Amino acid sequence: MLRDMAMRFRSLFRRRAVEAEMEDELRFHLERQTDKYVAAGLPREEAARRARIELGGLEQVREQYRDARGVRFLESLLQDAGFGLRQLRKSPAFTMVALLTLGLGIGANTAIFSQVRTTLFRSLPVRASNRLVVIWVNNLEQGWSRIGPAGQDYLDWKQQSTSFEDLLLFEHGSGTVTGNGEPEQVAGLRVTTNFGTFLGVTPVLGRTFTLDEANGRHNYAVLAYRYWQRRFASDPLVVGRGLTLNGDAYTIIGVLPPELNTLWAVDVVVPFDNDWLKRVDSDLGVFGRLKRGVTLDQASSEMNVIAKRISGVRPSRRGFGTVLVPLETVRVEFIRPALLLLLGAVAFVLLIACANVANLMLARTDARQREIAVRMALGAGRTRLLRQYLTESVLLGLLGGAAGIVLALWCTYLLARFVPSRIPVPNAADQVFLPVVRLDAASFIFAVLISLVTAILFGTIPAFVSLRCRVNDALKESGRGTLSGPRGNRTRSALVIVESALALVLAIGAGLMIQSFSNLVGANPGFHPDRLLTMRIKLPDDAKNSPYKEPRQRAAAFQAFLSHVETVPGIEAAAFAEIVPLSQDDMDMGYFVIKEAPPLAPGEHLSADYRDVTPQYFRAMGIPLLRGRTFTDQDTLENPRVVIIDEALARRYFANRDPIGMHLQIPEAGRPDREIVGVAGAVHDVSIEQAPRPTVYFPYLQSPDQTMSLVVRTGLPPESVLPAVKSAIWAVDPNQPIFNVRSMDEIVSGVTSAHRVALLALGAFALLALVLAAIGIYGVTSYVVSQKTHEIGIRRALGALPGDMMKLIVGQGLLLSTAGVGAGLVASFASTRLMSALLFGVSATDPLTFIAVAVLLTWVALAACYIPARRAARVDPMIALRHE
Amino acid sequence: MATQRIELPQGTLDLLILKTLALEPQHGWAISERVRQISSDVLRLQQGSLYPALHRLERRGWIRARWGTSENNRRAKYYELTAAGRKQLEAEESAWRKLTAAVGQILETA
Repeated sequence: MLRDMAMRFRSLFRRRAVEAEMEDELRFHLERQTDKYVAAGLPREEAARRARIELGGLEQVREQYRDARGVRFLESLLQDAGFGLRQLRKSPAFTMVALLTLGLGIGANTAIFSQVRTTLFRSLPVRASNRLVVIWVNNLEQGWSRIGPAGQDYLDWKQQSTSFEDLLLFEHGSGTVTGNGEPEQVAGLRVTTNFGTFLGVTPVLGRTFTLDEANGRHNYAVLAYRYWQRRFASDPLVVGRGLTLNGDAYTIIGVLPPELNTLWAVDVVVPFDNDWLKRVDSDLGVFGRLKRGVTLDQASSEMNVIAKRISGVRPSRRGFGTVLVPLETVRVEFIRPALLLLLGAVAFVLLIACANVANLMLARTDARQREIAVRMALGAGRTRLLRQYLTESVLLGLLGGAAGIVLALWCTYLLARFVPSRIPVPNAADQVFLPVVRLDAASFIFAVLISLVTAILFGTIPAFVSLRCRVNDALKESGRGTLSGPRGNRTRSALVIVESALALVLAIGAGLMIQSFSNLVGANPGFHPDRLLTMRIKLPDDAKNSPYKEPRQRAAAFQAFLSHVETVPGIEAAAFAEIVPLSQDDMDMGYFVIKEAPPLAPGEHLSADYRDVTPQYFRAMGIPLLRGRTFTDQDTLENPRVVIIDEALARRYFANRDPIGMHLQIPEAGRPDREIVGVAGAVHDVSIEQAPRPTVYFPYLQSPDQTMSLVVRTGLPPESVLPAVKSAIWAVDPNQPIFNVRSMDEIVSGVTSAHRVALLALGAFALLALVLAAIGIYGVTSYVVSQKTHEIGIRRALGALPGDMMKLIVGQGLLLSTAGVGAGLVASFASTRLMSALLFGVSATDPLTFIAVAVLLTWVALAACYIPARRAARVDPMIALRHE
Repeated sequence: MATQRIELPQGTLDLLILKTLALEPQHGWAISERVRQISSDVLRLQQGSLYPALHRLERRGWIRARWGTSENNRRAKYYELTAAGRKQLEAEESAWRKLTAAVGQILETA
């Protein structure tokens, strides 16, 4: 067997040597035979002749010998490939157009495939990530679909649930690191001590926490890889070194692997202790690892039973349930519809490319019909010819694939610029980081596979059409334009109809996206997003000896920052707010009761988002004040408590009554009533698509917090004032970290990113599809014109006008495109609803878009027919007739 | 030219080649000569089919080829039996004997 392989291998790749050996052997045989006859007395010439006759035809022996080598199939394949290559080189225009078309189709598909694979199907760098679920609490009555649970929830769940192997609790936070270079704000994660075992993470250095470190407060810190690299210069001896975090001394015990940053983009990880768990109130994160064999549904229903039980024991949890979502799903929830849409769209592009190349091949086949007929007449087998056709198209497909890979590299680069690296988690005030997409081995394999599939798709159609022709007819009719007969024409027309239909579906999709996106961008978010600069400032009030322990001190600090920032030239207004709209930074909500309203049933309460803001906030953001007044510097702790409510809250809870002068009560002991002094416009806080939620604004001076966002409205581009703003703040406190600096444009483009990606890519694909369809229509129409030159000549000779000829040709092209438009409209009606998740303010079957795009495609078809039609009109009857 | 030549029955060419090579390594021409001589000119190999057959046998691993010098001092390709070839020869020989015996019996009795 091995020997056999070796010999075949040798025959194939050392062909020349093997041939030479064969010649030697045969020559030796002839010489000996001749010698024998000479010895018997024959003249040498006669002897040589007899020897040759006895051998039985030298050439035949050679062929038999070659057959015996067992590599005939491969040899003829190589021959076909060589022949194919020569054919391609002989018609460079055809080859270029075909390769470009295929390259675009295959390249776009490879790029999108890689994007989808990396984004949607890459598993997380933790143990059995497919069994990890995120657990939120929800309260549908209050309209809260996903809220982070409290420490007590975690403890209860851990005790009562049986569906999970383990639960992990974590909290995002930030802290100030001092003593290691400049003071720096770091992103921190506080986790339960089962962190390492839960995730199955092996630290790069040192260790993670041990379970018993939850008993008692241990100031141990594990560094994230990126922080270790950045601040500790990848020091291999970092374990055991100290770290001053918020003024407390921590000991570094380990460094996490780099992959973990795709799950949490943090710098430092510290442990919860058991006491702390009972203290922390809410908005934590909980991951659960499902036991093997437990489904999500089983776990969900168990958790809902537990939630009922908890609400009986803890009144604060009345009306709450739980939501379980697989971690891998939740991470891509936001971007998945856009990516799947693109996957579908790009497949359409490939189909159109296939149809186009098939059409090109058909046209070329016509030109070669005589060659084929001659070969068939000479006895070439149909299978042999079919094989040659397929070899040629596979060759074309693979070359197209190579072009496609180059294009895919470029597309990936483009996608990387438009697909955001951070995407929001819907309704959860959280965001995730997407991995960087690169073309890898799987992408290349994919490219080769679709090249082959495409080649077979566009290769078989012309092959069958051409081989079905009758040799006699082809030879007889040579030179006349009707070689392919009606069948070839019908195939051609069908292909054009299909590609126009596909192009129409894509163009309608793009049209809908364009409208949706312009609705989204044009939608009023409730504030003016342009020329707004935002940044976060956290007073290090949890540090030892912090000068910000007292609310009054904090208020004074922020006041001082503001008064300095306001003096920066180019600034129109500056304000602090707890949370900037659309930033997904955090969430703060609470309960309230309207003092003047009839009492609610026990346990029932109203809820709203809470926002602490400084007086200039509404002006800086451009949020209109609808009634009453804004906050002033007199709204301090010494004066009566006041609030401003937003329009959404006023509509929902005050209906027709005037809320000004009424009071909100916070259902907690010792909280004074708060008078409503104003009503502000509603703001889209989470996303532009979601309706604004009821919001209550509190004057900052009456509830000073430690972390605030600075919003600055500028007259200049926001980035240009940043250095001045920073130095204004540092003029107050040179040790104050400033982080998360973003312009509002950046924030808005983050929440519209899925739409933007879908729009750009779909738009590009639709354009590509239209161009390809136009090429297709142009190709067929030109072909028809060249075929009908004779007919046109006769008609012209009989008195038809050039205009009539144009009408004839254009009419034929329009017939095809209209059929395509019809089919495309039907297909669009059936398919655009799949993208409704991405549409905002436009219906998936928006009639206006449908009509407009259909008209557009018809115009494109008209334009594509025009050039060949003009050629038809210019046909000189004499020349056309003599042409025969 | 007095003797009448017989066309080789299908499948016997391989057997004859193997048998010839069982004595000693030979080149192609010698194999055809040997067959002719031993069969007293009754069997004459179709020389054209000899070489493809040799190649096939080589691919199967029953014979091995190597270049050597012929009795008249010229470069020639010599074939020799391999161990596998020897086994194959035995098997084919016994199959052939059984076949001829059976055919002979039928011819005599029927």
